[in-house]
Amino acid sequence: MSPVLQEDDEKDENIPKMLCQMDNHLACVNCVRWSNSGMYLASGGDDKLIMVWKRATYIGPSTVFGSSGKLANVEQWRCVSILRSHSGDVMDVAWSPHDAWLASCSVDNTVVIWNAVKFPEILATLRGHSGLVKGLTWDPVGKYIASQADDRSLKVWRTLDWQLETSITKPFDECGGTTHVLRLSWSPDGHYLVSAHAMNNSGPTAQIIEREGWKTNMDFVGHRKAVTVVKFNPKIFKKKQKNGSSTKPSCPYCCCAVGSKDRSLSVWLTCLKRPLVVIHELFDKSIMDISWTLNGLGILVCSMDGSVAFLDFSQDELGDPLSEEEKSRIHQSTYGKSLAIMTEAQLSTAVIENPEMLKYQRRQQQQQLDQKNATARETSSASSVTGVVNGESLEDIRKNLLKKQVETRTADGRRRITPLCIAQLDTGDFSTAFFNSIPLSSSLAGTMLSSPSSQQLLPLDSSTPSFGASKPCTEPVAATGARPTGESVSKDSMNATSTPAAMSPSVLTTPSKIEPMKAFDSRFTERSKATPGAPSLTSVIPTAVERLKDQNLVKELRPRDLLESSSDSDEKVHLVKPSSLSKRKLELEVETVEKKKKGRPRKDSRLLPMSLSVQSPAALTAEKEAMCLSAPALALKLPIPGPQRAFTLQVSSDPCMYIEVENEVTAVGGIRLSRLKCNREGKEWETVLTSRVLTAAGSCDVVCVACEKRMLSVFSSCGRRLLPPILLPSPISTLHCTGSYVMALTAAATLSVWDVHRQVVVVKEESLHSILSGSDMTVSQILLTQHGIPVMNLSDGKAYCFNPSLSTWNLVSDKQDSLAQCADFRNSLPSQDAMLCSGPLAIIQGRTSNSGRQAARLFSVPHVVQQETTLAYLENQVAAALTLQSSHEYRHWLLLYARYLVNEGFEYRLREICKDLLGPVHSSTGSQWESTVVGLRKRELLKELLPVIGQNLRFQRLFTECQEQLDILRDK
Amino acid sequence: MAKVSVLNVAVLENPSPFHSPFRFEISFECSEALSDDLEWKIIYVGSAESEEFDQILDSVLVGPVPAGRHMFVFQADAPNPSLIPETDAVGVTVVLITCTYHGQEFIRVGYYVNNEYPNPELRENPPPKPDFSQLQRNILASNPRVTRFHINWDNSDRLEAIENQDPNLDFGLPLNCTPIKSLGLPSCISGLLPENSMDCI
Repeated sequence: MSPVLQEDDEKDENIPKMLCQMDNHLACVNCVRWSNSGMYLASGGDDKLIMVWKRATYIGPSTVFGSSGKLANVEQWRCVSILRSHSGDVMDVAWSPHDAWLASCSVDNTVVIWNAVKFPEILATLRGHSGLVKGLTWDPVGKYIASQADDRSLKVWRTLDWQLETSITKPFDECGGTTHVLRLSWSPDGHYLVSAHAMNNSGPTAQIIEREGWKTNMDFVGHRKAVTVVKFNPKIFKKKQKNGSSTKPSCPYCCCAVGSKDRSLSVWLTCLKRPLVVIHELFDKSIMDISWTLNGLGILVCSMDGSVAFLDFSQDELGDPLSEEEKSRIHQSTYGKSLAIMTEAQLSTAVIENPEMLKYQRRQQQQQLDQKNATARETSSASSVTGVVNGESLEDIRKNLLKKQVETRTADGRRRITPLCIAQLDTGDFSTAFFNSIPLSSSLAGTMLSSPSSQQLLPLDSSTPSFGASKPCTEPVAATGARPTGESVSKDSMNATSTPAAMSPSVLTTPSKIEPMKAFDSRFTERSKATPGAPSLTSVIPTAVERLKDQNLVKELRPRDLLESSSDSDEKVHLVKPSSLSKRKLELEVETVEKKKKGRPRKDSRLLPMSLSVQSPAALTAEKEAMCLSAPALALKLPIPGPQRAFTLQVSSDPCMYIEVENEVTAVGGIRLSRLKCNREGKEWETVLTSRVLTAAGSCDVVCVACEKRMLSVFSSCGRRLLPPILLPSPISTLHCTGSYVMALTAAATLSVWDVHRQVVVVKEESLHSILSGSDMTVSQILLTQHGIPVMNLSDGKAYCFNPSLSTWNLVSDKQDSLAQCADFRNSLPSQDAMLCSGPLAIIQGRTSNSGRQAARLFSVPHVVQQETTLAYLENQVAAALTLQSSHEYRHWLLLYARYLVNEGFEYRLREICKDLLGPVHSSTGSQWESTVVGLRKRELLKELLPVIGQNLRFQRLFTECQEQLDILRDK
Repeated sequence: MAKVSVLNVAVLENPSPFHSPFRFEISFECSEALSDDLEWKIIYVGSAESEEFDQILDSVLVGPVPAGRHMFVFQADAPNPSLIPETDAVGVTVVLITCTYHGQEFIRVGYYVNNEYPNPELRENPPPKPDFSQLQRNILASNPRVTRFHINWDNSDRLEAIENQDPNLDFGLPLNCTPIKSLGLPSCISGLLPENSMDCI
């Protein structure tokens, strides 16, 4: 304010005049209001939006790029919430006392009450006005909110139940809707509510409404045109004690400013009968809004003509302002303990009973302080000329940006740059920012599970020869006539197989462009006719096979590149060729494919291991067909990999390990042998098998191959045979290895898992019947966790894991899970790294973490509903992590769950958890209690929980109990 | 409200010979994590007379974009001289940087570009056929023309829902993410120089 108040400061160029310009509103802004704490700014405008702003401290001054002037934003105000609900222009917004609520009114005739603690939650929509609502004011003790509208009424609503308390119409009977705004105001002592535009004897007035009985006996008279704005001074005043005058303290009074369409402003004291001051023709146009300074001695008035006036008062003129304590004493004596007074009192009066609790509370405060200091420090560093990211100056980063920036290729060969994050926002939305900036690397996923990213190469390999080979046979005209080059065929088939999403665009290249879907269908069926049964590799002439092989090679590389951002250079060379070729040749197609692909973020494909052959359309129909053929017998049949001459399979990238299989390479006296080679970080071993290898899988501990005649052989990591060949009950469909576990899924849809090292069966020929009950259901992805728990992802988005101890299939993930979409536990995330939980559950479920927020934003879920769904969701997660025996994730979700319980105050469930974790303090022999859960010591978990529990004073009893019992146990 | 705002575009290596690549260092701020990539394009306006001489020098996807401030260098090869009308080779033209999200363009940054012969002799007597190897490109970096467009940023949920569906049902894509090929090219020149460089639609 100093440049406004002092001319010298105004002329000083070093003192910034404009601090920040926010141009985010899409239309005219009608109202801006500071929160009582001064932390937030709310703005409402003709774009039907309310935006809540917060000052960002991380980021230094900046200019609006492209703006002509040198208008630097000295302060950074960032929009933290956009509140969408109104269907018309927002005319006024108002923060409740203590900033618990934010109210907004609109020309859609409604008033909306927002939960200012949990934006964008709507607590109530007040309907009842039949005209444009143009003004709002809260009762200073928070019991009421009043609104004034063009329907010639002023309505007072209770905050207890958000119902109408009273509707006052009499003073407004003669009013026409001539004003742009009707900003009414409540006196700071709560006694009076003063309306904008009212009429008394056909003269414009500001009506005074008494709180007691809502009587309308007095008004402020004198303006020649309608009153647009009334604003009470936030302070309550008392007469200045003058020497010599009576020492008897006078009654406190309030001060009120009234602005009107007649371009004049009047200031009134409630103890005087006449205005304190009237300023005529202050502006060229109607007064729009008035705001008092916090100390009550200044007033800012703005007008439709685009100017703002500042008026300065002295204490001699207004009186002595009462302190906030005196003010709240007046409130308490008049209204008793109100909600507004309570909120702050609650915390300070609660007695802390336990010294440990006190310690935690103190520590928490200290942490908050530290954080504040840290941010302050960062602000200072950010405001210096060069920002520093990770110890590197911004200048350094800029110099090397081009060299260092990560550039990848998407599946369709487009360049994709990962931008360098130079600063995070400090809007409280840390969680999302952090989560996204650290994508789960494929190698991480690979080591945790049986590296599905690399193994998917195998099924793709095996499914394509049949697919590709059949096409030239069934569609010779299309292959030779319409697409003379082999490249286009390969490109086409590539789209169809490797990326299901790109299927429809690929149709555009078919001869019949007019009916793409139909053409697609026909090709789909034609292809599938050839696929079921044995692959027709042998029926194709050798040259065709060779050509197709090449194409497959190209095709192989693509999905892999998608998965591994840092692919080898020679792969890249292969990759660029077809894409550039096709770019030139089939520009239209590429364009469409690009667009489609854009919708699929890479992180998804990296997080979710690529689907297995079952998902590829050919196999899908193959299965359908198979089911049709075998008809009502209901025998599930999963696709079988066909024999190939040779294939390579990467087991893991770190350590680099791959398996090579060459079928029927050496003939010894008429007997053909197959060779299995395994290369692990340069060390190679090989062995021979008597029958052709259909599929292979490996982990760091074991390598296993499934051969013809239902044989399964298992080798150690050094190539030593561990078991005589296992005879499978039916032909192999999919094979997986993780650690020492081997999983075999047979064509008859039975699943077996063995622990090769301990030589025990984990899952014995379990049928997939129960989970594949639907007619069209297929297994889209198979995982085997490090603990040997098999997980089936199905085509309907559900994922089941098999629980060996219960012999049940358990649902661990559901893409359509409405709970996950509604749950919002953002506030329970302890810090950024909490989002970093990775494990089988995370891989199965993919990213769902911020959907809850989106849901809340979209549907404005009531808090109670969201609470329930969040609880249910978190409990599901804990249980799923437990079933998957993923200890890391179990701990993560348990802590999150506990934190949520603590935040929301659910004592019973919290107590139950603590009880289970603590177990019996005095051990008895009959106790069934296990001291560990998924390899974690329960009591250690409880110790981790204690600080969480200590955060809420309501749980101090529970905290003390657990703490004491843990101490007893420790002493033992 | 736009989720992405461009903070700065620095023109690197300017001026430079005509055949050297364009290099822009773009820093932008994202207020909310984006579910999909941004697509950036550099368009070289070959002739002010007609859009048909526009050349898309390069287009690149940028992602993933979490909330925060980010920067990257966008490099694109020099325009193909054979596609530039001879009469327009020397003189002032325009280079555009556009960014689209879900196929919707939300920002367009235009720079004037002056191609001239640094050699005073050539400048006085320019060869009848432009000698591109002698030409120097000078981008008027100090005066970018920025046009922002309001687009729909919030269809990520719907997109995600679609993605989770059976790929065979792909035809149900929402309208606003269907590919629009000709986007951004028409009205290049007229859209480039609005009276108010901050204007909004």
